Amino acid sequence: MSEYVIKTNGLTKSYRGRNAVSDLNLEIKKGEIYGFLGPNGAGKTTTIRMLLGLIRPTKGTVQILGKNLKSDKINILRRVGSLVEYPSYYGHLTAVENLEAIRRILDVPKSRIDEVLEIVSLTKESKRAVKGYSLGMKQRLGIASALLGSPELLILDEPTNGLDPSGIHEIRELIKQMPREHGITVLVSSHLLGEVEQMAGTVGIIRDGRMVFQDTISNLRQKAAGGIDIRVSEAESALWLAKDAGITGQAQQNVLHVEGLDDKQVASLVKRLVDNGHLIYRVEEKNKSLEDIFMEVIGEVKSL
Amino acid sequence: MNTFIRVLSSERLKMSKSNLWLLTLGSPLLALLVGLLTNSAKDASGYMVLMSTMSLFHALLFLPILTGIFSSFICRYEHVGGGWKSLLSLPVSRTSVFTAKFLIVAALLALTQLLFLGSFLIASQVKGIHEPFPWAMLTRSIIGGWVACLPLAALQLGFSLRWASFAAPLVVNVIFTVPNILVINSDKIRPFYPWAQPIQAMIPASSTNIGSFGFNLSFESLMITVVGSFVLFFAAGLIYFNRREI
Repeated sequence: MSEYVIKTNGLTKSYRGRNAVSDLNLEIKKGEIYGFLGPNGAGKTTTIRMLLGLIRPTKGTVQILGKNLKSDKINILRRVGSLVEYPSYYGHLTAVENLEAIRRILDVPKSRIDEVLEIVSLTKESKRAVKGYSLGMKQRLGIASALLGSPELLILDEPTNGLDPSGIHEIRELIKQMPREHGITVLVSSHLLGEVEQMAGTVGIIRDGRMVFQDTISNLRQKAAGGIDIRVSEAESALWLAKDAGITGQAQQNVLHVEGLDDKQVASLVKRLVDNGHLIYRVEEKNKSLEDIFMEVIGEVKSL
Repeated sequence: MNTFIRVLSSERLKMSKSNLWLLTLGSPLLALLVGLLTNSAKDASGYMVLMSTMSLFHALLFLPILTGIFSSFICRYEHVGGGWKSLLSLPVSRTSVFTAKFLIVAALLALTQLLFLGSFLIASQVKGIHEPFPWAMLTRSIIGGWVACLPLAALQLGFSLRWASFAAPLVVNVIFTVPNILVINSDKIRPFYPWAQPIQAMIPASSTNIGSFGFNLSFESLMITVVGSFVLFFAAGLIYFNRREI
């Protein structure tokens, strides 16, 4: 039980009889980055709001850091940092004053403010009113606020939403260093797989309020394991030669597509083809992108 | 309790950097002007006439409107860009957030009343009123007027939490403040009308000779009504805020 930082059991939230989130079992292990994926409107933010105690679940329980959210909310929130949807800030205050407003509630030493500003590299801008900040800077300030209480768990809802590529990169690097350098478990939600796959160890994919996939990113990648496309002069007869050697594949036009071969098998297949007078124009590795898998996983549910 | 003090100190910081407190100056200054222009009647107590005229606009219009503005303003920063979510994801209870916000509004109203007291003292000096200093009346008007704003403050805070728009609670407030002029003429309604409670508390009791506002309800009964409505509105706001989905 305690190895999970977040564990939900049959978490459900319904609005007027319609389930926004249904029967969700999240399992997030200590020290990992968990990518919470799903298209817009799938229920990610609703789930996160339940995790933070902002809304009450219709059914189900939430365990965070080994404690029940319902009975221990304040103690849990003390150990969780969060950024939900937009970075919220008080525009008329400077970054330092913004953090001070939060620091007073968290009751951490004043030195933490400089520390978190350093982490998100806002030290230089810290004396400026936040309303003049760029979106990327505001987002970094949001992360700084989330880190202020030295949390054990960081919950970030769409932290790169609306950022330009360099901003996205900065935030991603920032998130990646959390478990490594500060031992923080991170839950990061996004509707873009490409963004999450570069930092997450485990992903949960949610669609229409239901979890459709929850496993490590490498297992998701395995689903994506592709094959080899060999462009040959005579695809049909090449396919027969391959079948003779016990390799199954498909021939389309002048492409022979084979799957699940290791390097040696590929080499011997190519040699066999060449020895039999086939011309080989190209040997290409064809991987399904994670994006394709993502769409497949989402699509599977849609077609049900 | 400890967390509550921390939330309060955080709220105070947010407000201290805004220029909201400047609003507390307006009504007392206007009241000072009214006070300086007042001609004391021969047969009445100078202090009483002065208090009646000075508190008329202050308590009838400005105080209820200021109450609404303060309540709206204190929720404004959270309504902009998901602030409620981040504030309430911190280790705070909603009760302490609600109470802290309410106390800031109450403190701003208290400041307004103190400035009004200052205006009153200046005006009475300039007028050169030679009467025994009216401690009882002043305490009643200043503190009573402040207490009578609190039910309205709780009600308006509730509205301000409910509506993300800054203007909506203000519009409601003004719509209900303007009829004050009529409501105070009705013996039956006025003690229960939150927008008219400040004026009833502030106008000195026996100033019937300066206008039509002879409030026959005793100060004590008024205060009981005020406290009663305060408890009602504060509890309603608190329950609503605690159940609200953020």
